[in-house]
Amino acid sequence: MANTATRVRPRSSTGQEPRRQARAHRLFVAPTILAIVVLGAYPLLFILAGAFSDSTLGKPFRNWVGTENLEVVLADGDVVASIVRTVLYALGVSVVSVGLGVVIALALERATRSGAVVRTLLLLPLITPPVVVGTLWKLVFNPGGGLLDTLLRGVGVEGASIAPLSSTFWALPAIGLADVWQWTPLVTLLVYAALLTQDPAVREAASLDGAHGFSLFREITWPAVAGTVAAVFFIRLVIALKVFDLVFIMTSGGPGVASTTTSYVIYQVALKEFDIGRASAITLVFAVVVTLVTIPFAVLTRRLTHD
Amino acid sequence: MIDRSAARHRSALSYTVLAIALVVTLVPLLYLFSLSLMGRDETVSGILWTSSPKWSNWAEVIGTVIPLSIGNSLLAALGGAALTLVFALPGAWAIARFRAGGRTLGATLMSPWLLPPIVAVVPLLTLLRIVGLNNTLPGLAIVYALANVPVAVWLLEGFVRRLPKELEEAATIDGAGSWRTLVSVIAPLLAPSLVAVGIIVAILNYNEFLLATFLTQSADTQTFPVALSLFYGDRTPHFGKIAAASFIGVIPVFAAAVFFQRWLVSGLTAGAVR
Repeated sequence: MANTATRVRPRSSTGQEPRRQARAHRLFVAPTILAIVVLGAYPLLFILAGAFSDSTLGKPFRNWVGTENLEVVLADGDVVASIVRTVLYALGVSVVSVGLGVVIALALERATRSGAVVRTLLLLPLITPPVVVGTLWKLVFNPGGGLLDTLLRGVGVEGASIAPLSSTFWALPAIGLADVWQWTPLVTLLVYAALLTQDPAVREAASLDGAHGFSLFREITWPAVAGTVAAVFFIRLVIALKVFDLVFIMTSGGPGVASTTTSYVIYQVALKEFDIGRASAITLVFAVVVTLVTIPFAVLTRRLTHD
Repeated sequence: MIDRSAARHRSALSYTVLAIALVVTLVPLLYLFSLSLMGRDETVSGILWTSSPKWSNWAEVIGTVIPLSIGNSLLAALGGAALTLVFALPGAWAIARFRAGGRTLGATLMSPWLLPPIVAVVPLLTLLRIVGLNNTLPGLAIVYALANVPVAVWLLEGFVRRLPKELEEAATIDGAGSWRTLVSVIAPLLAPSLVAVGIIVAILNYNEFLLATFLTQSADTQTFPVALSLFYGDRTPHFGKIAAASFIGVIPVFAAAVFFQRWLVSGLTAGAVR
C-alpha cells in the first residue's frame, strides 16, 4: 500500500488504484459474508450432514445412514400433518393480516388529521416481544374470567365457559388471532409508506376525469401500491411459516397436536428427544415446502415491482 | 370534482376504521395493565377493572429475577445491535455503490431469514461450545450481531442509494481512499439511518426468545423473554404477577418506540419503498 503511494509514476498508480479499491470492497463485504456463512451456510451443512446420518445431540454424525431419516420422516403422519397445518395457518394468517393492514393504511392516508400519536399506538403490537404477546392472549382467552370470557358473558352468552386454547378446532385460530394482532401493524406501516410516495397530481387528474370512490382506488391507488402489497405478503408469509414463540407460550402445541406447527415439531424432536438426524430431515423437507410455497409470491412481487 | 358529501362520508369511514383499529390494538394491552393491579382472586373473577387497584404485584416482580433479565436483554440487544451496524455499514455501501459480491451475494443475502430460527439452534450451540462462549451474554450478543447483518444491510442499502453520489466523488478526487470515504463521508451522512436501523435491530434482539432460551440457560444470563416464559412454573399461576412481569419487561421497548418514533418509522419503510 505505502510503496504504491510513494511511487512517482502516475500511470502505474492509475492501474493500481482500481485493484486497491476492489480489495477494499472485498474487505467491506467480508463481515456480511461471514454472517451468511455462520447463520446460513453452516447450519445448512450441519443439517444436511445430520439428515443423512445417525445423530444425537451429544454425538452428531455417528454413521452414514443414507436416506433412512428422510424415509422415516416422510412416512410419519404427524410430521406431514404438521407441515400441511403450518402452510394453511400461514396462508390464512397472511391473508387476514394483509387485508386488514391495507384497509388501515388506506384509512390512515385518508384521515388527514391522524397524527404521529395514532401511528405510534398502532405500532405497539409490532414491537411487543412475542413471548408477551403470547402471554397476553393466553390471559385474554383464559376460560375462568379472561377478557373474552367476561365480554361474552356481558353480552349474554351463557353456558359452558369459552376455552379456545383447549379446543382442538379453535386452538390454532386463537394463535392466529394473536399473530394477526402482532404483525398487522407491519403491513399497515409499509403499505402506508407506499401510499405516501404516490404522486398527488395523478390522483388529482384522475378525479377531475370523474374517477372517484372505488374506481379511483382500482385505477390509480391499487396499481401504485400492488407491488408493495405483494412484497409485504411475501414477508408476512415467511414470518407466519416460522411461528414458534406463540405456540410455545399459548398451547405448547396442544391440545394433542392440534396446534403443533413444524417449527414446534423440530424443537420437540431435536431438543426434547435429542434426535438430530430426524430433526434435520424434517427441517430439510420443510425447507423444500417453504421454498415451494413462497416462490410464487416472490415471482409475483418481482413482476409487479419491475414491470 | 368530487361532491363534498361523498368526501365527508369517506373521511368519516376512515376515522371509523382507525377508531376500531385503535380499540383492538389497545384493549388487550390495557387489559394486561388492569390485570397487573389485581389480587389473585380478582384475576379469575371475571372483572375488567379492580375497584381497589394495588401495586403489590409490581413490587413482587421487582424482587424476582425479572429486573436482572431485563438488564441482560438490554446488554445483549444493544451490544448486538452496535456490532451489527459496524458489520453492516461497509457491506451495505460496497454492495449499493460497487456491486461488491456480485449477484451471488445479493441473492443469498436474505436466505438465512427464510428458515425458522430453530434450524440454527443446534449448530450454533455446538459452535459456541467450541469457542467457549456458550451460556454467556457476549456469546448471545455475537450471535444476535451476525443474525441481523442481512436485515441491516438490506435496510441500509436503501438509505445509501438515496445519498447523492457527488459527495463521495468529491472525496475521491480529493484523494480519499475507500476507508477514508466510508468513515468521514458516508458514516456521518448516514447517522440518522444508522440510528433507525440500530433501534429496529435492538428491538428484534430484545424480543428474541428461541435462541436466548438455548444459548443462555442459567439464571444470571437469562434474557427477559426467557425469564417470562418460566413464570408459568406454578400449578396455579398468579395472573396478576405474570401480567405485571410482562408489562415491566415491555416498558423499555415502548419507551424506545415513543422516543424514537420518527426514526423507527423511517427505518422500517426504507427497505420497502425504494
